[in-house]
Amino acid sequence: MHSKTYRLKEFIGSKDNRSLIVDASAGLSLGPLPGLEQFAPAVQPVLPLVDGLITSPGQAGKLSGRTRQDAALLVRADWTNALRGPDFVLPPETVSHIPLLNPTDALDLGASALVIYFLLGFEEVIEAGCLHNTVQLSLKGTQVGMPLIVDVQSIGPRVVLHDKAIELGVSYALEGGADGVAVPWSNRESFQNILAMASGVPVWIKPTSLDESSTQLGDALQMGGTGLWLDQYLFTAEDIPAVLSGFGEQIHQQEPSE
Amino acid sequence: MNAGLQTRMDRLFNRHGDGRAVCVAADHGYMSDVTPNVVNLRPVTEAVIRGGVDGILLSPGQAVRLASYFQGRDGPALILRADWMNMPRLGTSNVANAVPQRLLIHQKVITAQQALDLGASAITIYLFLGYNDQIEATGIEVCARFVSECHRVGLPCIIEPLAYGGQVTGANSVEILTLGARMAVELGADALKIPYTGDVETFRDLVETAEVPVLVLGGARSDYERDALELFAEGLQAGGMGCLMGRNVTKSPDPQGMVAQLCGIAHQGRSVDQALRTEAWDYLRLKAHPAKCTGCQLCVIACVASHDEGDYSPTLSRLRIDPGRKQGQHRVMYCTLCKKCLDVCPTDALRWHAQSGAVELLVDDCTACDECVKICPTQVIVHSDTGIQIATGETLDWYPVVCDLCAGEPECTIICPTGAIFIAERKELA
Repeated sequence: MHSKTYRLKEFIGSKDNRSLIVDASAGLSLGPLPGLEQFAPAVQPVLPLVDGLITSPGQAGKLSGRTRQDAALLVRADWTNALRGPDFVLPPETVSHIPLLNPTDALDLGASALVIYFLLGFEEVIEAGCLHNTVQLSLKGTQVGMPLIVDVQSIGPRVVLHDKAIELGVSYALEGGADGVAVPWSNRESFQNILAMASGVPVWIKPTSLDESSTQLGDALQMGGTGLWLDQYLFTAEDIPAVLSGFGEQIHQQEPSE
Repeated sequence: MNAGLQTRMDRLFNRHGDGRAVCVAADHGYMSDVTPNVVNLRPVTEAVIRGGVDGILLSPGQAVRLASYFQGRDGPALILRADWMNMPRLGTSNVANAVPQRLLIHQKVITAQQALDLGASAITIYLFLGYNDQIEATGIEVCARFVSECHRVGLPCIIEPLAYGGQVTGANSVEILTLGARMAVELGADALKIPYTGDVETFRDLVETAEVPVLVLGGARSDYERDALELFAEGLQAGGMGCLMGRNVTKSPDPQGMVAQLCGIAHQGRSVDQALRTEAWDYLRLKAHPAKCTGCQLCVIACVASHDEGDYSPTLSRLRIDPGRKQGQHRVMYCTLCKKCLDVCPTDALRWHAQSGAVELLVDDCTACDECVKICPTQVIVHSDTGIQIATGETLDWYPVVCDLCAGEPECTIICPTGAIFIAERKELA
C-alpha cells in the first residue's frame, strides 16, 4: 500500500471509508477559545470518540500516550489571521497566510496528515500562495508518504457566489494534489458537484452549525461524503462526549451511500 | 542536445515518426472557475487516449491522480502545467465569477525536477505580453528560470506566449504574438504553444520566426467542430507541428472522435472534410458491384500499400479478387462484417469497434489460434508475414490481419476506377 494511503487509513475507517474529524487548531490564530483554555484536558476526552484530531504544531506534543482506539493526529501546517473577525482584539488590516510546516516536520511530530487552509475571496496573492502551498506540500508529501488535507475557507469579502466559490476551492485543491478536502456545507447540488470532482478523494463537510450538523451529515453521507469535520465550536457544547458519540454512530453505522 | 531532452521531445513529437503531436490541454480546473469539462477528468482522459492523443497537459495534482493512464510505450506523453495564473477569472470573460479577480497573478508553482519526478515529458509555462511591464518582466524571469532548470534535467520546456491586457488591440495582437514567440525562443524554449494568428500567412511568419516546433492552441470552444479542425489544419499548413487544444476537445460531446479527427489531419494527412467524414463511420460498410469489376487488382495493391511498409505482398491484402474468365465474372471478396470471427475467437482478441465500425484486433489478447482465419467466409483474414511480441513478452509467429476500413476512408473504394467496390450508405448499420 502506498504510504500516503496507509496514513489516510489511520483516520478514515477501512471498512466504511468514513471518519469524524475535530479541528482544535484554531488557538494558533485565535488564542484561548471557550472550552479550549486548557488544551490537553479539553481534548483528552475527545480522543477516543473521533477518528482524527487536528492540532497546531505546538499542541501536538501534548497528545502523547494515545492508544490505538484514540484519534489520529493531524497537524495544522499554516497560519492565517483571516479567521479573525472585526471584533477580535487584533482585527486584521491585511490578511496574511503563512506556511509553518513541511511534510517532514509533520512526520517528526508523528502526524498522520498535514492540514492547510485554502483561502478564497481575499487578495489575489493570498489565493496564489494557497495554490503554491498545496502543490508543494502535496509533492513533498508524496516523497515521504504524508497526506495533505485541504480545508477550504471561502470566507473572503470578494466571494460572490458562496457555493461556486467552495467548488472553485475544491477544484484548485484537487488540481494542486490534495489527498482530501474539507468543505463548508452549502447545499446538496453543490456537494454533488464536489463529489464528482473529487472522484474518490475523501470529502468531509463542515456543517453550518452544530444544530444543523446531523441533517447535513445525513445528506452528505447518503451522497457519498466521507464524514464530518467539526471546529472549535464543538468545545462550547454542554455534553461533548454525547455529541461526538451521536455523530460517531451516525457516521459509522449509517447505510452506505446511494 | 541533451539525450534526455531529445528522448522526451521524441516521446511527445515523434510517436508517429512525423514530428507532429496532437495534444489535449486538460488543466482548466487549475485556473478557471469550475466548468463541466473539468469536473471529472477520468472519462475525458480515457476518451482522448482512445482517440489516439499524443500528449495530455495536466496540473500536478491530476498528474499524480491520473498517472496510470500515462504508463507504457503506447501511453500519451504527460505535459505538466508548471505555473499558475488567474487570467480566466479576470474581466467579463469569467462566466461563473464566484470570486472575482482584479489583478493578473502569474507564478511558478513547481520545479523542473519535480515535474520530472512526476514522469513529465515536458512542461508548459505562460509568457504574458500586453498586461503591464511588471507582469512581462516576471514572465521573463519565470521562463528563464524554468528553461535553465529544464535543460539541467533534460526536460523540454514549452513556453506559451499570450497577448492579454490593455496594451493588446486587434491591430497589434499578431505582432505581439510574433514578438512573444521570438522572445520565448531567445529564452531557450524547446517548443511553443501559441494561439493561431487568424491566417496562414501571419502564422507562417510566426513559425519561421520561432524555429522550434509550434503547437497551436484552440482557445474558446468553437460553435462548430469544423472551425476548430480548420484552424488546426491551417496551423499545420503554416508549418505548425501540432496542437495543444483544450476546450474544443474537452467540451466536445465526443472528445474521442474529436481527437481522432485531429490525428487524422496531423498524422494521416487527411483534409478537414475527410476528417469530418470519419464522424459517421460508425455505420460504414463496404459493398461491391461484381459486374463492374475488371479484375485490375488496384484495390489489392492500394490496400497493401496503405497498410504495410517495405516489400508489398498481395497476400497481405485485406480484400481479394477471385478472377473469372471475363469482366462480370470476377468476384470481389471483402470483409462483410459478418462478425463470425468475433464469435469463434476464444480470447475475445477480436471485437467490433462501435465507433469505427470495423473489426479490431487486440493483439495482446491474441494466441494465433487460427480460428478466425478458418471461419472467415470470404477468406480475407490472412496471416501477417512477421511475428509480433505481445504485452506478456511472448512472441507470436503471426497474427491475423483484418480489414480496418482504413479509418473511415477505405483505399480500395478510392482507387477503384469503375466503382466496383464502394462505400454503402453510411447509416445502413444503424
